[in-house]
Amino acid sequence: MAAQLPDMAATLTPDAQQPLPSLVSSRRLKWQKTARALRLWVPAGFLLLLLFLCFVWPYIYSIPPGNSGSILDASEPPFSPGHWLGTDPNGVDLFSMLVYGGQVSFEISLAVTAFGAIVGGTIGLTAGYFGGWTDSVLSRIVDVLIAFPALVLVLAVAEVLQPSETHLIWALSFFSVPVFARITRGSVLTIRTLPFITAARLTGTSNRKIIFKHVLPNVLPSVVTFSLLGIGLIVILEGAVDFLGLGIQIPQPSWGAMIAKGQNVLTAEPQYVLIPSIVLLIFVMSLNLLGDALRERWGVR
Amino acid sequence: MALAQQVQLQREPGARTDFARRVTGSPALQLVGRRLLTAIPVLLGVTFLTFVVMNLIPGNPAQLILGINASPSAIAKLDAQLGLNHPFWDRYWIWLDGLLHGNLGIAYSNQQSVNSDIAQFLPTTCWLLLYTLVASLTLGIIVAVLAARKPNGIFDRISLAVSMIGLSVAPYALALVLIYVFSVRLGWFPTISNSLGDNPLTAIRALTLPAAAIGFPLFAIYTRLLRADIVEQMQREDYIVTAKAKGVSPWRVLVRHATRNSLFTLITLVALNLGTLIGAVAIIEPIFSLPGIGAELISAININDLPLIEGIVVVFALVTVAGNLLADLLYTVLDPRIRYGRAAS
Amino acid sequence: MSPVVSTDNALLEVEDLRVAFAVGGREVRAVDGVTYKVEAGRTLAIIGESGSGKTVGCRAIMGLLPTGTEISGSARLRGTELIGLSDGQLRKHRGSEMAMVFQDPARSLNPTMRVGKQITEAITTHRKVSKSDARDQAIELLRLVRIPAPERRFHEYPHQLSGGMRQRVVIAMALACRPKLLIADEATTALDVTTQAQIMELLLELQQELDMALIFISHDLGLAASYADEVVVMYAGKIVEQAPAKRLFGAGGTVKMRYTRALLDAIPHLERPAHTDLPVVTGRPPDPTMLPVGCSFAPRCPSAADDCTAKAPALTEHAPGHRWACWHPCENGGTA
Repeated sequence: MAAQLPDMAATLTPDAQQPLPSLVSSRRLKWQKTARALRLWVPAGFLLLLLFLCFVWPYIYSIPPGNSGSILDASEPPFSPGHWLGTDPNGVDLFSMLVYGGQVSFEISLAVTAFGAIVGGTIGLTAGYFGGWTDSVLSRIVDVLIAFPALVLVLAVAEVLQPSETHLIWALSFFSVPVFARITRGSVLTIRTLPFITAARLTGTSNRKIIFKHVLPNVLPSVVTFSLLGIGLIVILEGAVDFLGLGIQIPQPSWGAMIAKGQNVLTAEPQYVLIPSIVLLIFVMSLNLLGDALRERWGVR
Repeated sequence: MALAQQVQLQREPGARTDFARRVTGSPALQLVGRRLLTAIPVLLGVTFLTFVVMNLIPGNPAQLILGINASPSAIAKLDAQLGLNHPFWDRYWIWLDGLLHGNLGIAYSNQQSVNSDIAQFLPTTCWLLLYTLVASLTLGIIVAVLAARKPNGIFDRISLAVSMIGLSVAPYALALVLIYVFSVRLGWFPTISNSLGDNPLTAIRALTLPAAAIGFPLFAIYTRLLRADIVEQMQREDYIVTAKAKGVSPWRVLVRHATRNSLFTLITLVALNLGTLIGAVAIIEPIFSLPGIGAELISAININDLPLIEGIVVVFALVTVAGNLLADLLYTVLDPRIRYGRAAS
Repeated sequence: MSPVVSTDNALLEVEDLRVAFAVGGREVRAVDGVTYKVEAGRTLAIIGESGSGKTVGCRAIMGLLPTGTEISGSARLRGTELIGLSDGQLRKHRGSEMAMVFQDPARSLNPTMRVGKQITEAITTHRKVSKSDARDQAIELLRLVRIPAPERRFHEYPHQLSGGMRQRVVIAMALACRPKLLIADEATTALDVTTQAQIMELLLELQQELDMALIFISHDLGLAASYADEVVVMYAGKIVEQAPAKRLFGAGGTVKMRYTRALLDAIPHLERPAHTDLPVVTGRPPDPTMLPVGCSFAPRCPSAADDCTAKAPALTEHAPGHRWACWHPCENGGTA
């Protein structure tokens, strides 16, 4: 009987043997793939470009200083010779101001975010994992810090310490540490209830091992993606402090101070506000887009 | 309480005491009580931290007020008058005591009570915050629901792009751009407003641009999260499939089922972002010269008026804590799972 | 497409149903050419592992799959072709003529909406009735599914009911407009065994009372043996065996497919000697994005031969009423 069947089957229903043609268009499948890759690499590319312009470019190609200029060059429009983006009313080159201000912004935001992630992350991890009194105490402290609106907190601390780059980093950390602590704690709490953690504890694995081998790798994706968002937030926050004149002091350039100075001539020459604002926007947007793309890749919620 | 339950209670006499027991033992009230309890140490911590930070400022406040050329005896006299010669804990206790009685102290700069100073400027800020919150929430919900209707459709993609800009823009930069476009170029709104004017129309005109500057990033956050939540409900939750299987129209499924349940997340989000909302006034008000407490804080900082700074900062923080608490309570009240608990079945 | 003779009293006729969608750049063929029919008053069991396409197929008929899914083939409900209808048109049938009950009653009910409201919603979506009439009908429905104190339950929230009662509520919602076809998708899987039996009995009683066609989807062959008239076994999106239940189970049962045989063998019996290994099917279901060329079950089949991996066998009616797709079917329904 088995020998006859294949022939019968072939004559009765010829289609059933070949794989049925694809329903979903291959074009759609291909587009899904490319779109995904673009979402990651375009913002990453922009970020790399900005980083390059701020940290590499000035050393390959000499650009005018960012904190002084000749009064003869005052208020040059963009695309003038020798000054790509023009100069401000004091003759300081705009592009250089952006570059050097960018250096400071990058450094500060990176330092603050790293500090927040490490210190805040540790606090959150400890609180979330060990629970009990540790959690209660640590969480209360974090709650107290978070109760202050970010800007207000930073301003208050900056007010106490004299304005300088290092002090600004301390002030901003007052904000980033509790926020990271909250985030990691939440993440750890979710993971701690997962069955495989319970299984590890039941088999007598030491807490240290569980934390480093199981909890940490699962918390890392959300911490990293949040860090990207955090850098953007810190840059904006730092810009706000500079805008108010309480952060980086002139003649040191900073994007916030540039925007603040541009306020005075907004009516007649809006580019002094628009140009640094757009650069700031591009920077933060690239960070956010990159964070989104990574979150998509790594399946973080 | 449901009609049927009320009717039943009247029929069963023993049920009345049962009801009373159920209310006091109700999980909702217990949750509320617990949250209130945990809020107290936070509130205390807030006052303490503010006081500590403010008192770390180097230099003698009395000297700052009287100037460099003041005589030592004058400084000592002012010291005593301001109570600055007492030890730290005493000063904290005095200040806290005053705080609990609603008295925030005397400002250095104008010798007026901080209370009256805040009271003078608070209304403007409140109006601004109200306007911002209402506008950004309303717009946020509408846009999110429309976007979730067709995920990855044209409206959705545009709203996502706009949200991305909103998330990435700095409020102060946005404020200036708005001023340039709508005030300088188009003349629709005033650039600076020293007061809100005497009628609602002038108030709205004065507050719209500042509200937009603070509200646009907020709107972006709300839209993004709400849309994501609604879409997730629509795609993953079984009760949505059930509703569709009943033949319910897509709009009703979207609004009555999915969005209704996503609003919980939104409330939490609004509460969490209360700090951002409130803090933003500190930078936006000065730009528009609005007479609010944010602007007052900045000017207080610029003249080193410690009690004033202290007072305003504490008020900010206390309001944030209160807001978070309120959101928690709201959540508890709205979620029937918490409100009704598990009845014996 | 082979012509299928349509029987007059067939309530639902499904012909060559195919469902595919794109995931992460690859195509998933969830349902790959499925044909069956159900008559009024009869019970069809669709059995398969997770990923076999049993749920997706029925959801496709109901129109409950997300947009972006490609569906082709035919599904006729009382003569009306369902595949290809717009959502607006399908909605007229959904909930009124054909209804579905889902797996997890804890999640199928809206947690923030009172139970009664959810039932009246099912009624008012299709009929124009006053609020009080809808309420009365809903309470009647709760009574129909044997829920005690229906007037009180009407005002409660889902979390206030037990699992079995919640499932009864879901059934009540499904029956709100007296559908002609009821699909129970793993309706008892999330319940404990006692409740399971109760719900199945309830479904069958209701089927008799309302003269409905019942399709129940499950991975439990035992349920099919106890309650079904006709059984369809699915694997990797295709039907691999299809026969009246009497033919497959019980004494003298002639199970032809290795897969069905394996599923049957995996059911623990009391008569089996103690401490013997349970004969489970080794391996896992195939990755739907990378289906093998030949028979999809071949990698896991104990009696797979070369022709099995070379060409996929077609589903053919080798015996009256009994179809299977296998090059080397079991002999005499035994463990050959």
